[in-house]
Formats: sequence, structure tokens, C-alpha cells
Amino acid sequence: MPVLSVRDLRIGYRSGGRLVEAVRGVDFDLYPNEALALVGESGSGKSTLGLGLLRLLPRTGQITGGEVRYRAPGGDQVEATDYDVLSLEGTRLRRFRWSEAAMVFQGAMNAFNPVLRIGEQFADTMRAHAPEGRLGREDIRERAGDCLRSVRLEPGQVLGSYPHELSGGMRQRALIALAMVLEPRVLILDEPTTALDLLTQRAIVDMLQELRAERGFAMIFISHDLALASELADRVATMYAGRIIESGTADDLFREPRHPYTAGLIGAVPTVHGGALEPVSIPGAPPDLARLPAGCSFASRCSYAVDECRTTDPGLLMVTDRPAGETSHEAACLRWEAVRMPAMALQDEEAGK
Amino acid sequence: MSTTASGVEAAAKPEAPAGLARRIWHNYVLRRVLRSLFVIWVVTTAMFFMLRLLPGNPVDTFIAQQIRGGSTYESAAATAANLFTFDPETPLIQQYFDYLWALLHGDLGNSLDPGTTVMEQIAASLPWTIFSVGYALLIAIGLGLLLGLVMAYRRGGFLDHSISMVGSTLHAIPNYLFAIIVVVFGGVQLGLFNVSETRGTHTAGVEPGFNFTFIADAFYHASIPVTVYVLTTFGTWALVMKASTITTLEEDYVTVARARGLSGRRIGTQYVGRNAVLPMVAQIATQGGFVFGSAIFVELILKYDGVSAELYAAVNDRDYATVQGILLIMTIVIVFANLLAEIVNSMLDPRIRESESGAVG
Repeated sequence: MPVLSVRDLRIGYRSGGRLVEAVRGVDFDLYPNEALALVGESGSGKSTLGLGLLRLLPRTGQITGGEVRYRAPGGDQVEATDYDVLSLEGTRLRRFRWSEAAMVFQGAMNAFNPVLRIGEQFADTMRAHAPEGRLGREDIRERAGDCLRSVRLEPGQVLGSYPHELSGGMRQRALIALAMVLEPRVLILDEPTTALDLLTQRAIVDMLQELRAERGFAMIFISHDLALASELADRVATMYAGRIIESGTADDLFREPRHPYTAGLIGAVPTVHGGALEPVSIPGAPPDLARLPAGCSFASRCSYAVDECRTTDPGLLMVTDRPAGETSHEAACLRWEAVRMPAMALQDEEAGK
Repeated sequence: MSTTASGVEAAAKPEAPAGLARRIWHNYVLRRVLRSLFVIWVVTTAMFFMLRLLPGNPVDTFIAQQIRGGSTYESAAATAANLFTFDPETPLIQQYFDYLWALLHGDLGNSLDPGTTVMEQIAASLPWTIFSVGYALLIAIGLGLLLGLVMAYRRGGFLDHSISMVGSTLHAIPNYLFAIIVVVFGGVQLGLFNVSETRGTHTAGVEPGFNFTFIADAFYHASIPVTVYVLTTFGTWALVMKASTITTLEEDYVTVARARGLSGRRIGTQYVGRNAVLPMVAQIATQGGFVFGSAIFVELILKYDGVSAELYAAVNDRDYATVQGILLIMTIVIVFANLLAEIVNSMLDPRIRESESGAVG
């Protein structure tokens, strides 16, 4: 049973008196212990989707439709939960955030309040979710210390520090520790390594893998880096113009992309491993969400596009059907059978000569 | 400027034996205190020489006045010698050091008002100004910060628009003009308060002391100037605070705080409010000094006997010692208000302390 089921989620931004949809009907299921990666360019709606799941949209943002169902199995003392996050209000919404689903943000440099010590920010988070709002100092220190040690930080040093006294990598680790302090079942990571150098990036990714194995939370990893995502995630979904346009296992998308956009993304990102691919950029720019063309929204940038593409939006088509419980490979492209990765196309050409 | 200065210091004496001096330099508060004292010294010196360089020294002016008044030169000169603690015959530099030395002993010289020292005059008038202006600033800033915060949270709403309009209109009226309006319309035309009763700093016959009657009376008399100061300044605070709050609301840590499920009140005070106030502290200090300085007109119009009324009288009487003394004391008050603001700022923002003491050393 999925811990999070998203159905036809639509999110818009008010702009000049009209509503522009940035997320246009997204469906996915997130299972316990699973890592799902959402990949796309900036403007593809992936960050909006992440914020929307926690109902953290800016003032101009608005969820216009769909359902985000959160389920947690009951235990000896806890009742089973099953509700639509979009219907939560007030204290219930406040408590859903962070204790059920936590989020690690892009702007890691600035995620902590600069005028409060890290320890105080652990304490206020835990107090905000304590049943009576009361929690002993020792309890806080112990639980915060646990989480900090699991991200390889020294609690004695970090808890008494102000954010500016820590390095960028340390701050990001501290934020990840803070995200785990309430043991949420879902962790959303929005570009968690973007502002960090390569070595720190590597360390954080390894650490996230370990933490997930250790603590068993489900993870949504939002990134523009398909290579990084495919390394961390069991399942990868590519987003374009507010929709998921391809989804499958990390291997499916990374080795055999069936949507020209995914293939382009692989070409556009120089990989750390996997040899020296010549970076090929995707021609053109993402479409204006306020004036989307009929048919496939990628057609104008696509070298595979045929006339039919400009009139029909196919939706996700099955590429490789796998039995229940496993991830199938789907792509929203009429010509998925013809799609080849740029490098593969290059090899074909050479072979042809 | 301060960072480069301390950098030079540190570079010039890498392992200076004067470890104490360095430690003082690196102490945030001590360094600010030293700098404030330096500013006061510069102002004192400038004021001393500027007054001496004015055409016609005060002694000659006084003697000429006395002679015009009918006394002989000899008696006028004798009175002048008694009144003025300096002798125009001694070299200027000697006078300067004498003045500084007396100043260090709290001696600002004698007023032209026979039998009173400048210090006594200031002691009788300055507390009233500090009381009324300080009290007004507290209310205006408190009110402004609160309104600004609310306006930023509900921007575009009714409250936002109306406070913006009222605040900026009132801000555009100079406070002395506003004081006249208050007296003429509020006091005389509409009879909202009794103009003659609220004149002065307290009712004659009420003994100053720590008792309810006196305190209530003091607040009653201060209420009109305080109202004028508050109404002419709170709008500015509110608008500045609104802008600062809007910037803060867009900070990542505010979104993260919401994601963390913190209560709205905790986010409003510790995350938004506290960070939004930071850039305003310096402004509060300078604006506070401005209100203090412009109190002179308001006090004159409202017949509130603060230090400004005293200064006005001293200028009219060519009472140089008193003018000099009052300006000096006002400088000191403003410099220390700035010092206080900087210390408050460093308490609110850990980054200020660190960046100046830690990074440079």
C-alpha cells in the first residue's frame, strides 16, 4: 500500500489576473522505503510539486485540483491514518508537516534562521509537535544528538552553533538531521546538493542512501541531474511542462530513455561516471505555460516530432509492462519506439558509415 | 572603515606586546564605546573652536551689552570676569585644555543667568526632553513595528492601504506644523484637551518625586508633545517595517519553518519579526536622533520646558556657555543612543559580533 498517492494534482500560479498551471495533472504512488526521483529542467514544475505536497506554496500559488492521499498503517497504540492532505487545515496540517512528511530544501545555505542557534531550532521543531507542547531538555538533546550523529556531525559542537558558523555541507547535513528528528515516513529532497561542491555532494548522497536503509523512510528526490537521481532512486520520473512524461526504473530511463526529452536530459548533463559523453543541449526553451501548444508540449523542440505530435497529446504509453509490485516503464511519446539516446544515435551513424 | 582599521592594526603588530590593547579592540562593545568617546571628543573640540572663531567673542559682546544697559566699562568687565570662566587674554590652546579639564570634572561653566551653572540648567531641562521624546519613540516604534508586521502579512488588504495612506500623509507634515494644528484645532477649536492646563512639564505645586500624583501629572503634561511625535513618525516605522518584513517573508528559512510545522506565532516573532527588525535598528538610532533634534520647535510651540526651550533662550541671550553645553550634551545623548542601538543589534544578530571580532583576528 503506497504511503503517498498523488492523483491528478494540479497547481497554478496567479499571474496578471489569470491562473497559469505549473503542475498539470500529476499521478504517482510512493511506497514505503521507496526512493522516487523527479527530474526536469527548471520550470518543469518539479519544485512546485514538492512544495504542493506539503501545502507550502507561495502566496500566488494555489492547488486547483486533485488528491494527495497519505496513509500510515496503525500500530498497537496508533490508529491507522488515511486522509487527503489537501483537505487538512490548521493544527492538523501543521502537525502533518515534518512529523509525517519533512522536506530538505534547495537553498540549504539559508534554511536555518540566522539568529537562532541550531539547538534552539531543533528544540522548537520538536516542541511544536510534542503532544502537550512540552518536552524535556534532556529528551530534546538526546534525540537531536542521535540524528546529528547519524549524519556524522558532532552534536556538542553543532547544537551550540549559529548557522553561519557551519560550512555549507555541515548546514545541509544538519538540515537532514533536523528532517529526521520526528521520524517522518516521507522525506522530500528538493535539489539537496545543488549548492555544494562535488565531494560534499557525493558524501551527502552516500549518507542519504545509508539513512534510508537504516531508518526506512520513503523519499522523493527532486533534481535536474538525471545521473545523480538514477543513482539514488529506485524509480525515476521525468517532468516536462508540469507533467510526468516518462517514468520507469532508474535503469530504464538512464539506459533506454523512450521520451526524446529524457534522452536529451542525459545528453545535456555531463556525467561523473559513464565515460565522456559530449554534452548536447536540447534546442529551444521550455514552452510558455500560459500558452501551451495543442498536442505534445515538447513537439516544437523535438527532432522526432511528426505532424500527429502537434495535434495529439498521447499521455503515458506503456513501454515495458512488468508484473504488479514492479515498476513499469512508461513514456508519453507517440514515437517512443524510434527514440534513441544522442550517444546511441551517434554510434548508429558511425556504424552506418 | 572599522574593519580596515582593525586589519591594519592587526597587521602592524602581528605579535604585539600590547595584547590588552588588541583584546580591547577586538571586543565589540568596548570598541564601540571607544569610538563613541572619540566622536564626542571630536564634536567637543570642533564646537569649542567654532564658537571661539565666531566674530566678536562672548565676553566683548557681554561687556558691550552691559555698557548699553548703562553700566561703566569697569563694572561690566568685573561682572564678565566673574561670569565667564575663561580669560580672553590666555592663548586659545590653553583655553581649550582648561575647558576639556573642566569638562572632565562635569563643569560646563557658568550660565549668564546669574548664580546658575550650565550643568544645573541642563539638569533641570534635559530630563524632560529625554522623557517625552524617549517615551514617544518607544510608542511610535512599538506601534510602527507591529503595524508594519501586520501590513506585510495582510498586504493588499484594507488595513495595509489605510495605514499606508494615513502614515505617509502624517509623515509628510513637519512636526512643528503638526503641533500648531494640534493646538489650534484639537485644543482651541474642538476643545479635545485644555491647552493652558497641559502647558509646561508639570503643574506648578506638584512636588517632583516618585509618587503617583507627580508621575501621572508628568505623563499628562507630556501627552500632547508625545502625541505629536508619535503621529508624525509611526507611519514611517510602519512602512519601513512592512518592506523589511516582506523581504524576510520570502527568505528560505521562513518556508522551512512553516514546513517544520512551527506555530504561526513562533514564526511571526522569532523567524520573521526578529529578522525583519535587524536592518531597522540602525535606522531607529538615526531617526531617534532626528526626532530629538527637531523637538526644539515642538517644545517651543507647546510650551514644554525641555532642553530645546532652554537652548532657544540661550541662543537669544547669546549665552555661549549654555549653548555650547546643551549642544554637547545633546551630542552625547545621540552618540550614546547610537551606541545602544549597535549593542542591541549585536545582541539580536550573532553574525555582527562574529564577523567583526572573529574574522579579523
